[in-house]
Amino acid sequence: MASLLEEQMVGTAVNRAFSPAKSLFEVVGEMMLLTARTIVSAIKPPYPYGEEFIGQFLFALQLCWFPLLVSTVAFGFGAPGLQAANFLSLFGALDRLGGFFVLASIREFAPFVTAVVVAGVAGTAITADLGARKIREELDALQVLGVDPIKNLVVPRFLALMIVTSLLDIFAIVFGLTAGIAAELLYHQSLGGFFATLFSNATVTDIWASVLMCTMFGAIIAIVCSYKGMSASGGAAGVGRAVNQAVVIALVAVFFFQFVVTSILLATNPDLQAIR
Amino acid sequence: MIGWLDVPRNWLDSFGEIVRFGAQVAGQVYSGRVFKFFGESLRQAGILIFGSALIIWAFVFIIGLQCGLQGAYFNRSVGAPSLAGLFSAYCGLREALPYAFGYILSAKVGTGIVAEIGAMRISDEIDALEVMGIQPVTFLAATRLLGAWIAIPFLYLVGIGIVYLAAYLAVVKQVGDVSSGGYLLIFWMYQSPPDVVFSLIKGMVMATAIVLVGCYYGYTASGGPVGVGTATAQSMVVNIILVHIIGMLGTIVFWGSNPRAPIGG
Repeated sequence: MASLLEEQMVGTAVNRAFSPAKSLFEVVGEMMLLTARTIVSAIKPPYPYGEEFIGQFLFALQLCWFPLLVSTVAFGFGAPGLQAANFLSLFGALDRLGGFFVLASIREFAPFVTAVVVAGVAGTAITADLGARKIREELDALQVLGVDPIKNLVVPRFLALMIVTSLLDIFAIVFGLTAGIAAELLYHQSLGGFFATLFSNATVTDIWASVLMCTMFGAIIAIVCSYKGMSASGGAAGVGRAVNQAVVIALVAVFFFQFVVTSILLATNPDLQAIR
Repeated sequence: MIGWLDVPRNWLDSFGEIVRFGAQVAGQVYSGRVFKFFGESLRQAGILIFGSALIIWAFVFIIGLQCGLQGAYFNRSVGAPSLAGLFSAYCGLREALPYAFGYILSAKVGTGIVAEIGAMRISDEIDALEVMGIQPVTFLAATRLLGAWIAIPFLYLVGIGIVYLAAYLAVVKQVGDVSSGGYLLIFWMYQSPPDVVFSLIKGMVMATAIVLVGCYYGYTASGGPVGVGTATAQSMVVNIILVHIIGMLGTIVFWGSNPRAPIGG
């Protein structure tokens, strides 16, 4: 009898110790399933999601352009602009700032500021929207009517966010370079040196890697935010909590993904490392 | 559907109200009225540490790895791989850590506060507090601000250590162009205690802004469970913009006219 009780106690203790890890694996697995289902139903005809896709695309663009503008200009002017220009001016080598901006803007901060803005602005809006529909039981009603919520709600958001994120990445690069030019002008330098080192150091690989990485960011953000919105529950605080969890998971996933991709990219492309 | 100029217009609209609300909350803390609820402040600090510390540190660890990786390859490309410590000292301490801290704080803590206080608002608990004679702004917002001020400096300082460790791992162990001693020599040479203090000030200003924005959006949430979700999403927009602006202003103020590097005249 005593041993049975002991066994039960050990069992519950083990369960409690491993339940966070177990639920983490469950959530990741369900997100993978949602990704697979989204991709399959995006490819398989019929394609009823065209109108919703255009709506979501414009919605994300309208929400994101202003925060992206302010964020990238502020980040580019402060971090790589002023810090690097300060440092380079000690050596009288301010024209090298352009070469530094290839690394700073194109390779590093344009993708991640874009990801933060899209996750924080468009992603939270998607979670709030889908979570509200879930709480109002609209998703169940759609299913009863024979409308597949994945095909009609998740797929357009997934595609729209992928394209919007990679487009906004181009804008982030342009705004970031503008901020770099502003930092250069602040030090009364002519811009010829900036552009010369910028264009001689930038490679096509840098640009497509940046844009492709952002496309994947968009996919990650869309899946995480849609999943959290569609599984929102728990009454009044439920939608708010879903938004909270969605943005945390999306940010951590995106930054981890970026680290892995940059590691592989830089290690496998030695031509990126040559200074010109 | 929204228009193209709605986001900046809304932002300007709510910015003034956030400042007014924030001044009210900060006034409650400075006048000492919040110490009536000091226990609640300590509880909020505890929630912050036990609920958010791990995720914050994990996030800044990834940022530290990024800094080290970019620094190692950049210094290899200019033909000075042994100076990778310079890049990771500048990137990690001065810029990347405050930004990363601001991002994850607004994602985890800011939106969490909106969801929590917003749920209280729409289930009429805030009105109930008022009826009971407890000032809701003091009890809900000022205690959270004081709790954040108690806990976040320590979270931030540990975060600095974690970024240093991550940058070391990326430069010395992952890329491996420079020896451990060579890296650390340059790394410690290119920073000084005032840099740590400046970085901490940047992070604390961001944290204060994030907590106040979260309290404002939670306190003014309306429109049922859906309204709480919308308010949470909106708080994130304001937080992202504020984090970047504070980061830029901090760089201009602290390092704008003086690179604080141990070279040159």
